Amino acid sequence: MLESIVHVCLAGLSIGMFIWLVASGLTLIFGVLKVLNFAHGTFYMLGAYLCYWVLGRMGENFWLGLAIGPLVVCAAGFLIERFFLRHVYHLALPYQLLLTFAFVLIFDDAVKILWGAGSLGSPNVPGLSGSISILGRNFPLYSLFMIAVGPLVALAMWTFLERTWWGRIIRASSSDREMAAALGVRVPALYTAVFVLGTWLGALGGGLAVPYVGLLTPGMGEAIIIDAFVVAVIGGLGSLKGAFFGALIIGLLSSFGTRFLPTFDMFLTFILMAAVLLWRPQGFFGEAK
Amino acid sequence: METKGMTRREFVKAGLLTAAAASLGAGVFKPTGLWAATPTIKGPVKLGYQAIMSGALAGYGEFHKMGVQMAVDEINADKGIAGVKVEVDFRDSTLKADEAIKNARYFVDSWGADFLGGIDSSGQALALAPVMAELDRILMVTHAATEKLTEQQVFKNGIKQVFRISTPTYQDGNAAAFIAKDIPAKTWATISPKYEYGYTCWEMFKQTLGKLKKDVSFTGESWAPFGTTDFRPHINTIMDAAPDGLYSTEWAGELITLVKQANQAGLFQKIKHVMFPVGAAMDVLEGLGQELPENIWISGRYFFLYPADNRNRAWVAAFRSRWNHFPAYVSETGYSTLFALKKAIEAAGSKDTAKVVQALEGMEIDTPAGRRVFRKEDHQAMYDVPWGLTKTDAAFPFKVMGKQVMVRAKECFNRPPFEGAGTKPPF
Repeated sequence: MLESIVHVCLAGLSIGMFIWLVASGLTLIFGVLKVLNFAHGTFYMLGAYLCYWVLGRMGENFWLGLAIGPLVVCAAGFLIERFFLRHVYHLALPYQLLLTFAFVLIFDDAVKILWGAGSLGSPNVPGLSGSISILGRNFPLYSLFMIAVGPLVALAMWTFLERTWWGRIIRASSSDREMAAALGVRVPALYTAVFVLGTWLGALGGGLAVPYVGLLTPGMGEAIIIDAFVVAVIGGLGSLKGAFFGALIIGLLSSFGTRFLPTFDMFLTFILMAAVLLWRPQGFFGEAK
Repeated sequence: METKGMTRREFVKAGLLTAAAASLGAGVFKPTGLWAATPTIKGPVKLGYQAIMSGALAGYGEFHKMGVQMAVDEINADKGIAGVKVEVDFRDSTLKADEAIKNARYFVDSWGADFLGGIDSSGQALALAPVMAELDRILMVTHAATEKLTEQQVFKNGIKQVFRISTPTYQDGNAAAFIAKDIPAKTWATISPKYEYGYTCWEMFKQTLGKLKKDVSFTGESWAPFGTTDFRPHINTIMDAAPDGLYSTEWAGELITLVKQANQAGLFQKIKHVMFPVGAAMDVLEGLGQELPENIWISGRYFFLYPADNRNRAWVAAFRSRWNHFPAYVSETGYSTLFALKKAIEAAGSKDTAKVVQALEGMEIDTPAGRRVFRKEDHQAMYDVPWGLTKTDAAFPFKVMGKQVMVRAKECFNRPPFEGAGTKPPF
């Protein structure tokens, strides 16, 4: 029983960290640009496919794929923000959702044309494809790696936003765009930079998902984006701390639910979200309006 | 999006040709060669085909299309159906029931379909059956597997418009139980899809195996919702139950993910007897490659190496040279659908629904998967698909069935009237 609980915990943590990586970029973009980027799941998918594509050309080197693939997706993020999204900032939310959803459809089909509609099996990561025995039961090394990567990304983001000059500028523009602009911050350029950074995080999540899920499929971003949205809502839209802990809660809830409350496991997440929306609509770490 | 009907350019072209032909005199219009036979029915024969073409399972839609397209081209290059051409329009079924109904109505009401085909999801098939009765068009189901479609909707509710050319859950539940009875495993558990298909297969497997072997028990269940990417909590549940055997009707990408994650967790070292009723699907075999362990029991709705006869070999070769792929089972069922309809329409001498239904009932047809017989009572195609143990074969870059065991359709398919003694195997 103990080994079971430990393993359920570990599985929950790795699921949570996996969702966090995707939700972090979504939250960052919402926090600063106030845009609900539905295409974030698409960046995740593109990150996965490009990582796979690059590593296929670089001698199956996963790390090289992970370094280069998401950077290519950043170019797409740059073009989308610079030439499309920028023109709908002043419009109502539905326009932003519609525009970003259009990119979901376009890139889903692009992936089908470029890589085929079928699913692709992913290669293993050298050094991380095995598993170690924890209390007599195997646990995948790659999942442990995910559990370590999640907090590292969180720490890096926190340091960047709280401890650097750039971070201060971003926070200033996020809390008062006009004032920041009056003080000489080039807000449009900053928005582009933040959007590209968020894109990179989504694509990185996708690249890291390749060996974790073990599979690439067109439309793979659509399932994860729902989890990421739930996490963002529970944690407080725009709050990175909220997204981190929200992801942990959802990960553990899903793992324990599957093991101990199998009849209700699909509802648990949404019950939690409904409860948060009813009693604390700003989320755990969101600021009340 | 496929656009149907004439484009303006085609229209102008046709007009010019007609004018040119008319100026040459009436003799030019006389049909010659293959199309000279006087059509007995008013053409073309139009088939509206829907399958999943978006999202994670979009690959299935592609494979449906390849089989159907090949059949259409072969039929039209020959004499057509009763002398007229066959036309197919494809739509994305999206796996949602309301979308399937919308597509069916579009096909019949707007596009003028004479027949419908396709459907991957059991839920969709069940929802669509009453609509087919209302639209009064034949639907040939090529993938959705729930036995309730043919047992309840066709047999009990009398919806004569629905047929199924693919093997139903009898192959996944009943036939699996016949295999499992000879496996030295006394306890069984499952990780299966958390929807109709998963539930009905596991129930059938338990019922039939329970009758075949008295000392088995079923010790664990873990249900994975559609779209699961992380099976580790499910694998934990099964490792806790520690059964002798694992039975899983996970399919497509989710089966690939399950096997990879089970490999990492060392599940196949702990549980020696594993059965994947739809593990012999091409996307799974190719997606897993060498990562699929040896000696796992797999089956499907068609396996490209069975039957090992000339007809099937020739078909697989033609398919590979045309598409550069091994045929998936939905390619075979889609392909055979066209030839089954052709045979029935030609026998009926009409594309009238009631007449073609009558022709299809009890009809026998030789297809790449072997001889199929459409059972009169429930409109289920009876044909045999083997179960087999996975094995490495130097001729293929993926695992294939090594040792094969055949449980014949007549031994493992439930029999009409489906209720009471002697209707469920063993007979």
